Amino acid sequence: MSPKQEAGPKTSPANEDLFFGLFLLGMAILVFASTRKLLIGTSSNMGAGYFPQAIAWGMIFFGVFFVAKSQVRPSEKVYAPYWRGLFLIILAVAVFSLLLMKAGLVLAAFLAMLIASAASKETRPVEIVVYSALMSAASALLFVRALSMPMPIFPW
Amino acid sequence: MELFSNLMLGFSTALEWHNLLYCLFGALIGTLIGVLPGIGPVPTVALLLPFTFGMAPASAFIMLAGIFYGAQYGGSTTAILVNIPGETSAVVTCLDGHQMARNGRAGTALAIAAMASFFAGTVATTVIAMLSGPLSRLAMSFTAVEFFSLMVLGLVAAVIMAHGSIVKSLAMIGIGLLIGVVGIDVNTGVARMTFNIPEFADGLSFVSVAMGFFGLAEIINNLEKPSHQIVVSQKMKNLLPTWQDLKTAFPAMLRGTAIGSILGVLPGGGAALPPFTAYAIEKKLARDPSRFGKGAIEGVASPEAANNAGAQTSFIPLLTLGIPSNAIMALMIGALMIQGIQPGPQIIVEQPELVWGVIASMWVGNLMLLVINLPLIGIWVSMLKVPYRLLFPAIMLFCCIGAYGVNNSVMDIWLMLGCAVVGYFFIKVKVETAPLLLGLILGPQLEENLRRAMLLSDGDFSVFVTRPISAVLLGSVAVILLVMLSPAVLKKRDEIVESEG
Amino acid sequence: MRSFKLSRVAGFVFAATVTASLISSSPAQAADDFNHMVRIIVPNAAGGTSDILARLIAPKLSEAIGQTVIVENKPGAGGNVGADFVAKSPKDGHNIVLMDVGTLATAPSLFSNLTFDVEKDLAPVGMIMFVPYILAVNPSFPAKTVDELISYSKANPGKVSVGNSGVGTITHLVGAIIAKEKGLQWKYIPYKGGAASSRAVVTGESNVVINGATATAPFVSSGQLVGLAVSSKERMKNFPNLPTFREAGLPQPDAGSFQGVLTTGGTPPAVVKRLSDEIIKILAQPDMQKKIAEQGGVIQSAKPEGLRDWLQEYIKVFGDEIRAANIKVE
Repeated sequence: MSPKQEAGPKTSPANEDLFFGLFLLGMAILVFASTRKLLIGTSSNMGAGYFPQAIAWGMIFFGVFFVAKSQVRPSEKVYAPYWRGLFLIILAVAVFSLLLMKAGLVLAAFLAMLIASAASKETRPVEIVVYSALMSAASALLFVRALSMPMPIFPW
Repeated sequence: MELFSNLMLGFSTALEWHNLLYCLFGALIGTLIGVLPGIGPVPTVALLLPFTFGMAPASAFIMLAGIFYGAQYGGSTTAILVNIPGETSAVVTCLDGHQMARNGRAGTALAIAAMASFFAGTVATTVIAMLSGPLSRLAMSFTAVEFFSLMVLGLVAAVIMAHGSIVKSLAMIGIGLLIGVVGIDVNTGVARMTFNIPEFADGLSFVSVAMGFFGLAEIINNLEKPSHQIVVSQKMKNLLPTWQDLKTAFPAMLRGTAIGSILGVLPGGGAALPPFTAYAIEKKLARDPSRFGKGAIEGVASPEAANNAGAQTSFIPLLTLGIPSNAIMALMIGALMIQGIQPGPQIIVEQPELVWGVIASMWVGNLMLLVINLPLIGIWVSMLKVPYRLLFPAIMLFCCIGAYGVNNSVMDIWLMLGCAVVGYFFIKVKVETAPLLLGLILGPQLEENLRRAMLLSDGDFSVFVTRPISAVLLGSVAVILLVMLSPAVLKKRDEIVESEG
Repeated sequence: MRSFKLSRVAGFVFAATVTASLISSSPAQAADDFNHMVRIIVPNAAGGTSDILARLIAPKLSEAIGQTVIVENKPGAGGNVGADFVAKSPKDGHNIVLMDVGTLATAPSLFSNLTFDVEKDLAPVGMIMFVPYILAVNPSFPAKTVDELISYSKANPGKVSVGNSGVGTITHLVGAIIAKEKGLQWKYIPYKGGAASSRAVVTGESNVVINGATATAPFVSSGQLVGLAVSSKERMKNFPNLPTFREAGLPQPDAGSFQGVLTTGGTPPAVVKRLSDEIIKILAQPDMQKKIAEQGGVIQSAKPEGLRDWLQEYIKVFGDEIRAANIKVE
């Protein structure tokens, strides 16, 4: 999938299974922590904690399985994330969320699109500014005017 | 014959010119909102409900119904073109539909989706006309026990659907189940894993999660590559399917229709169960299951048929028993009651023009949608020629707006963002997210029905095998699991996984 | 690159924009208490009693005050999410919530971490509609009257399942109070809402249901459920053979679904009164009267003081009953 893949898969200790296994264990711990105050109940009257904790035990099992497998039969190594894309998309969506209700859809959408577009090496400056402005305006008309979605268009 | 005269009555109602217009209007709006991610049929129907007060009941119903199944058509379009499932029912179409688009066969995929939907719609209309009685009785015999077993069967479908290691799929289902737990617990009223965020009290919005995992994560992943490798190949092969395509797709359409018609009648399960199950069965029955996930036509034809058939047959409990099988039907009941019509078994007797008119209009609506959508394929496909550098910010924007639109809550956008990051992680460690989504959809109902069944049976687990329907369902689960874990099948899957690298 | 033209995209977008704006329209501005869009928040899923009522009222209210009025569904936590939203909105009366106020009356006693104060953060506008409850059973259940239900339940303790619309809802509470007073041991099966609980008793999954007449009456009419009693002052016109709770000797004879309207606490009283006056006028219109009556509803006074007093009284009454019946939401 990734362009950095050359002839034949490369394995390494820091491989897919390891990270996935660790993720599962982390999730299980999170579930146990956030449900610790819930009643488990009995099988005829299952409490709120019964089901999530049962599944969480399953996650622990799978997590251990994958971590073990990752060391015994290493799978393909995980390639570095595309930081620029990740960071900019996160920023773009965050900006949108923060600005939507305060500055209105047009500004939030415009800024978000500009920020996101910086994640692509192929973006052209003038083109993207015009395009983003048009899309923001069109979205406002379509979603807020025509479809009556409750959000401000402009800050005033 | 009574059926014939009923249908004649129905068509005479449906073909009145104003009803035709309402049908068209509903179908168009439905398609539009189906295409737009995040805005679904439920808020749209709710929005248009007041406008129906002044309309004749049959017209109102025809229009609202049109929105519902029109949305199924629209949802598949975005699923195929940009891999974003706007509706739960479209998730499965993403799997092979989008791959077909990547292989330059977007037009074929869209056309097959439209045709499968039309075929299913026609058959489903007939089913409704002829089999309402027996199907309603089937729906009535489902209690918590049977629902639980059905959900288990559905989850097993997720394992079948998955491409690679069964263990990974099971783990992903588990994650989905856990995400589904978030919210207020039905049985005790206690908030679980909501971290004191009030917007999560009713669970995490499926649309946000799906768009985060499928839409945004994929965008981040795509940005790494130069754009000519992304989305779809610019060389569009034929816009329409070949004869060979149709021959392959047709049996899949039949199976999908059957599955959708039966599963659609059952309350709960929602719109997602029919397509997921249909896909799983296609994959199981295929001579070469490795094609699935890479652009197999059956992987589009069957789920599309299933979700359209399911959408229409979900009207059966409403029309025959006055019981809504999903949120849209509940809205329809509201519409009926405002018109002064009491929904219930007597509605078929007291308001035959309404009931049969709606049934007939479904077929008319499907025909309209087919006729409208086929030429639109050209337009959709030309939109794909938009360079990715412009396409992805727009997709991102629509995802944001869509995520907000489900519940009018900004928190849902943040949720989507979180899922995008996790989804990107999943892409990097090469696990499929489809089983997770299925776990998320089915999890809450699985748990709710398990606990209710146990409450009612006072903790007696044997009810699951002593009640006949449940026994059959669980028996099927056992058989499927045995087959999947059998050495022959395992070996074949390993070969597939290794050959993919 | 090839034949992609930005201008073609721009043209398309422009055309779509113009079309979209032609579809929409904005209402005339009016000076007055209301100067921008008003939202009626319905804290339940679309299609329920509150939702239908809100959608009936919205267009008429819009005409009356000269502003767009939209209905927004914000379901969750039995109604508390929507109520919380209005409680935290600006104090200008432009966000109102229409809901079953029984939920508001029980919330303080049920939820220790309720995120708003029912009496301080919400300003009552008025009680709009009352819909009584119907107590009904599945047709194959061996009890066809209230007395038979009571004796059967006594003979089979812990076996009779009573469905309700959620833990801590009034439908649950009423069931628990009946059981306590008559000395019965019932199994309480919570469902996600009244539609689900009614449906479950129709299929026979649970035995007994207590639910609003709007959703339950159709099933009784069609024979899919057998009605045992109704919690209104007089017998319902559609069911002259159905005794009232009072006649059947059941406690809680006036229980039911009370639909009320509230806005943000601290809103100027003049604005609150304006809302109340307009709603009273709307409720007096003949088509509204007809539609509400068709749902089995009884129109109420819609005055702010009436709702405020009701809430004060019932927060205490339900609180006592919740503690007495030992209902817990952990």
